[in-house]
Amino acid sequence: MVEYFIRRILLTIPTFIGSTFVVFLVVQLAPGGPLEQQIQALKRGGETAGAGLVGEQALPKDAIEELKRFYGFDKPIWQRYLIWLGVLKRESKSYRIMPGKPRLVGENERLVLVSVGNTFELRNANDPSRQVGDWKWRQEQDEETGQVRYRVYREERSGILTGDFGRSYRFRKPVMELIAERLPVSIQFGIISFVLSYAISIYLGVQKALRHNTPFDFATSSAVFITYSIPGWAIGAVLLVLLATDRFLPIFPLGGFENPLYAEMNLLEKIWDRAYHFVLPTIAYTAGSFAVLTMLMKNSLLDTLSSDYIRTAFAKGIREQRVIWLHAMRNSIIPIAANIGYVIGVFFAGSYLIERVFDIQGIGQLSFEALVARDYPIVFAFTVISVVVTLVGSILSDLALAVIDPRIRFK
Amino acid sequence: MAQTDTITASGSSSAGEEVLSIQQRRWRKFRSFKRGYYSMLVLLSTYVISLFLPLLVNNRALMVHYNGRTYFPAIRDLLDLPIVGQLGGTPFISGEELGQIGNKSECNYRALKRQYEEEKKGNYVVMPLYSFGPIEDISVEGNEPFMPPLARTQFGELRLFGTDDRGRDVFARMAYGFQISFSFALLVASLSYLIGVPLGALMGYYGRWFDLLMQRLMEIWGSLPFLFLIIIVVSIVRPSFFVLVLLLVIFSWLGIAQQMRAQFYREKTRDYTAAAISIGVPTRKILLKHILPNSLVPIITFFPFAIVGDIGALVSLDFLGFGLAPPTPSWGEMVSIGMENLTSGYWWLVLVPLGALFVTLMLVVFIGEAVREAFDPKTFSRLR
Repeated sequence: MVEYFIRRILLTIPTFIGSTFVVFLVVQLAPGGPLEQQIQALKRGGETAGAGLVGEQALPKDAIEELKRFYGFDKPIWQRYLIWLGVLKRESKSYRIMPGKPRLVGENERLVLVSVGNTFELRNANDPSRQVGDWKWRQEQDEETGQVRYRVYREERSGILTGDFGRSYRFRKPVMELIAERLPVSIQFGIISFVLSYAISIYLGVQKALRHNTPFDFATSSAVFITYSIPGWAIGAVLLVLLATDRFLPIFPLGGFENPLYAEMNLLEKIWDRAYHFVLPTIAYTAGSFAVLTMLMKNSLLDTLSSDYIRTAFAKGIREQRVIWLHAMRNSIIPIAANIGYVIGVFFAGSYLIERVFDIQGIGQLSFEALVARDYPIVFAFTVISVVVTLVGSILSDLALAVIDPRIRFK
Repeated sequence: MAQTDTITASGSSSAGEEVLSIQQRRWRKFRSFKRGYYSMLVLLSTYVISLFLPLLVNNRALMVHYNGRTYFPAIRDLLDLPIVGQLGGTPFISGEELGQIGNKSECNYRALKRQYEEEKKGNYVVMPLYSFGPIEDISVEGNEPFMPPLARTQFGELRLFGTDDRGRDVFARMAYGFQISFSFALLVASLSYLIGVPLGALMGYYGRWFDLLMQRLMEIWGSLPFLFLIIIVVSIVRPSFFVLVLLLVIFSWLGIAQQMRAQFYREKTRDYTAAAISIGVPTRKILLKHILPNSLVPIITFFPFAIVGDIGALVSLDFLGFGLAPPTPSWGEMVSIGMENLTSGYWWLVLVPLGALFVTLMLVVFIGEAVREAFDPKTFSRLR
């Protein structure tokens, strides 16, 4: 069994690399990326600002090269991927340098490229006796003019594997910080809808199993499948029009996560305000999640109820409630528990569609806007998160299953 | 095995009367679920009718008789419809050609009808049942933005569900939106089955390295953030109808293949397969004639739910603005216009398309339930 889980964990590695690489490839190769956007923006800026920065037609080649370097486009895609992973080193700082002329590369740090024989050597310009640290230099050639140039740079290894998700291009902030800001919203919705969907599904599933083939069973089946088939945001939009606009019954807020004056409220008001804002989005989030769980619960309980040990329990005269909740449920709940591993997903729950309908600044909005604006570090961070959640979730589920049900043997 | 212990177990009364094949029994059982059966009748007939929408709901006339010549402007749209997204791109007849003086662009047939009736020269126009098209906007005389449902234009024509922000008819857009959504879902679901069933079957039957490789590939595929990728691709390629179909198929064949794989994996270990192999039945025949019929039940019952999922996906993408290219009539786009104007009280822009969506999905779900019941051989028994 331990062997099985070790193998499972090892198998996630190729999957992780595979799926992140596919996303990396698609996102980076797509035209209209940040480089092009930046160049366009600079061109427009040059036009509007007149003779401010740049001429109206082309940006100087140097500027484009610097941009390319900033976004990492000066390297082939597989190198970019490995740098992003943190396997290869990334150039954290890089400056143009002229042989013989000192170059300021940091606070009070000057470097100079000194000619030694037919090659060069990098020295500290302030104090030649001191070390240059991890600075290195290299020679490069201008593609068109063939001019030889020199560059000093410093490398470091930092990427996904070292926990560095990079900085957002748009917000100029570490990605993790941005995600952390939005996390509270997502966690609250995630936990509430998780608890609600399990609680309601289990109860409903049991009731449906006990009243199998009754009108109650048929009606709830339809209801559950219909809410499952309608996208959550669409349910949200209809509720919003019916229960929040002036035209019908304005009893809920039109959107948002909390009252603008939330910070000044006392605890009771805060709870009330939160609940008031939460009702409609929570319905939208949970509406679709009942079907699978409820039907799983129902069928599993039905299966168990027709087994011999339940018959025996009834025959011994044990009360029905006791048989169902204590004898049958123990076995019936197992398939439901099989998905429990995906509970880690609640921390990143957040559908952009629902957040857009209700105007909630959550994780969904962040990822969607990043995608549209091609803010790669954020996009990749979300890719990593979603891949990890699915992979870890499925392993955790199997683990939970093995713990709950001693009959299960993985091999 | 599904074939032997089916539904007739309870119905001993019918035992001696007639022998029914399994398909006939399933069909009977399906028909006995009235709600699902009638849902299917309603949905299918609505869809078939919707294929002729250009003759029913259109701003172009069915027939124009002008100075001894007869024109059929709407017929062209009909031929155009299967290539959805091309809608409105057909060559048009200019207003001048039909006697609308000074109108070199497309003829306004409603105005033409009024003109002919006034002139009384024996020319006539036959308009479709509902004489507004899904594309014509505020640039046409009489089309106002945000007309409420049941409002009338200055010429007394009824706008059943009002108009949107560009003066386009909401009813016409809803109707065409149904045709497009449903065609889309049918295509996506069928194509994913076409790919998923054979691939899944081969994976399940042959197993080994092929299975292992495909499993890894599918795991990678399955963990990809699907909406992300679609949005990226859509922002590069102009989202024509077929590009979008292809994109969704790429992601949805996977589930089908997985189901099929599991089924074939299980069925190949059964005695009847071993028997077939041992008497030397060719592999192709074992796969197609022996295992396939026994493996299809779960994915057939899933088909209606695949349709539901694909309609939902299209509407969601359109809502985000990453679906079909405008001005293609689509429910999602209508809702997004409605949501932008939420506080202005234009409720019909949200409720009409979503109402249509709810009803459509509900009908499909009813069909799905009936299909599932019809194919389900299980009867539960318990003491109390």
